[in-house]
Amino acid sequence: MGLKEYVGRRTLQGITTILLAIILNFILFRIMPGDPTRVLIGDPRVETGTRLALIEKFGLERPLLEQFILYIRNLFRGELGVSFAQMGRPVIEIILGRKMVNTLVLMASSMAIAFLLGIVIGVVSAWKRGTKADMSFIIFSLATYSMPVFWFGMILLLVFSVYFNVFPIAGTITPGVAHPNFLAYASDYLRHLMAPMITLAVSFFGGYFLFMRDTILDVFTEDYMLTARAKGLSDRKVLFKHAMRNALLPMVSLMGVHVTFLISGATMTETVFSWDGLGRLIYDSVRTADYPVLQGVFLIMSILVVVASILADITNAFLDPRIREAVE
Amino acid sequence: MTQDSQATKDSLLRERLDVQKRRYKDFWKLYKGSRIGMLGLLIISVFIITAIVAPLITPYDPRALVGTPFLTPTRGHLLGTDQVGRDIYSQLIWGSRVSLMVGLLASAFGVAIGTAIGLVSGYFRGPPDSILMRITDLFITLPGLPLMLILAALLGRSMWNIIFVIAVTGWTGTAKMVRSQTLSIKERPYVEAARSVGAKDRHIIMRHILPNVFPLVFANAIVGIVDSILAESGLSFLGLGDPTKPSWGQLLRYANEAGALATGRWWFIIPPGLCIMLVAIGFAFSSYSLDEILNPRLRKRRW
Repeated sequence: MGLKEYVGRRTLQGITTILLAIILNFILFRIMPGDPTRVLIGDPRVETGTRLALIEKFGLERPLLEQFILYIRNLFRGELGVSFAQMGRPVIEIILGRKMVNTLVLMASSMAIAFLLGIVIGVVSAWKRGTKADMSFIIFSLATYSMPVFWFGMILLLVFSVYFNVFPIAGTITPGVAHPNFLAYASDYLRHLMAPMITLAVSFFGGYFLFMRDTILDVFTEDYMLTARAKGLSDRKVLFKHAMRNALLPMVSLMGVHVTFLISGATMTETVFSWDGLGRLIYDSVRTADYPVLQGVFLIMSILVVVASILADITNAFLDPRIREAVE
Repeated sequence: MTQDSQATKDSLLRERLDVQKRRYKDFWKLYKGSRIGMLGLLIISVFIITAIVAPLITPYDPRALVGTPFLTPTRGHLLGTDQVGRDIYSQLIWGSRVSLMVGLLASAFGVAIGTAIGLVSGYFRGPPDSILMRITDLFITLPGLPLMLILAALLGRSMWNIIFVIAVTGWTGTAKMVRSQTLSIKERPYVEAARSVGAKDRHIIMRHILPNVFPLVFANAIVGIVDSILAESGLSFLGLGDPTKPSWGQLLRYANEAGALATGRWWFIIPPGLCIMLVAIGFAFSSYSLDEILNPRLRKRRW
């Protein structure tokens, strides 16, 4: 099977998953006890005029199947309803924009750090298997894996924001400050990013580290490793050129799978640090029973995960022809 | 004649028991050799005992208002009191019950769902397999915590709802693993032999396939406990826990609401998180050494 065919097939699979997610999203908010009209648009915070328009638009007094068709049609027009809590602001406008960028910045930066550290330390640990250094890394990563993300964030805040005053305590930028230029804005933003980024990176390091270490140990048993040593290559060359390269492939697909966990971690982290992103938005919407926003964020996040996992798989197939064949 | 067959049956049964016993003994010997595994077991035991004797070692009812709000640690209140005057130490000890209970039950339910789906999928193949695997893929893809939050918010705040929500989002790994194991076990000679003498599907699944996947299912369940305990603490921290039962996540929520961070009241923040982490580490350590025993390829150093 060629690369093109593989990409096509994987994309189709992804679209199916997204469609299923849309169906689930539709059902989830309608299996609730009581009248769906009341829950979805019967919120007293929405004005009567807007409410009637919404009932009309989403066909909420019609049969379920018709509602579903209308829901899909509205979805493709980018129409996700209006927020209860924010005075009828359109959901799509709340989600796409600053909040999404903030979340993506937080997730990408922390994932990159965790990934790089996990790879390097994983290789070294596998190389020194059974030593004290290896054992301490294993125990450290099991410990970080077992730590509630939000608690680690709280400890960071306690130590570095309250006792030592290094990091700002909350938010994405200092409120009420007029930034003279972009540079000042960026540095303020970065200062706020530090603590949540470290929190999320630490919570993900353990998983990457253990996986990398296991994969490297597996690679060590391959024949080409023996060949490489027999050729008289130095240890470092064998380790970083032969072992690490081959172990990177499964790591890439793990990264794709991990995006869903990353979103969970980000939701926690953003809540603790008041980081103005989609995770924080989910928390706020749950608290204020803002169901349309909740539904919208969940959908966007599901799409994000599917796209990420497709990208990871395609990258992998591009790097390793064996994967394309194995799909058969 | 009937007596004879009864005797054969008995001896067969005894033999099977012996094999089982020997297996557990071998397993225990390997497990005992793992220092990390034993440490994990010790930690778990301490917390289980704490949960059982909670009423004996706590001076106050964790729900009762027993002191002035915001007391600092004293002899009467080892960890001070919270914003409405409840004893933090008592809440901490009682919290072990909810965390362990939710962790164990949610993981058990999740693993049961996963095992059932994996067995059906892998054994019968065909259309049910395709449908079940599509659903599994969907649940693997959906962002976990947001889904849990939504479900918990829709269902309402109770401990059983939390257990349900965690189980219903946490079965996919087991399903995938059981399915692939079932696929390979199904092709083994003894299953073939059983089928050729007319054994029914039910019999083959219960007698031949389930016992063979069980060790891995068990290992999965242990990892599931870590995830479930962490999920419970997270949901409680976000305010979706059972308001009538003290839990560690909830304690941290109170700490956050009371502004314990900004005022530097570490005794309100550190102990609950430390407990969550220790219990989770206990199970994580056990699962790590289980993994080493059950995956023999990791057992020996090869290079």
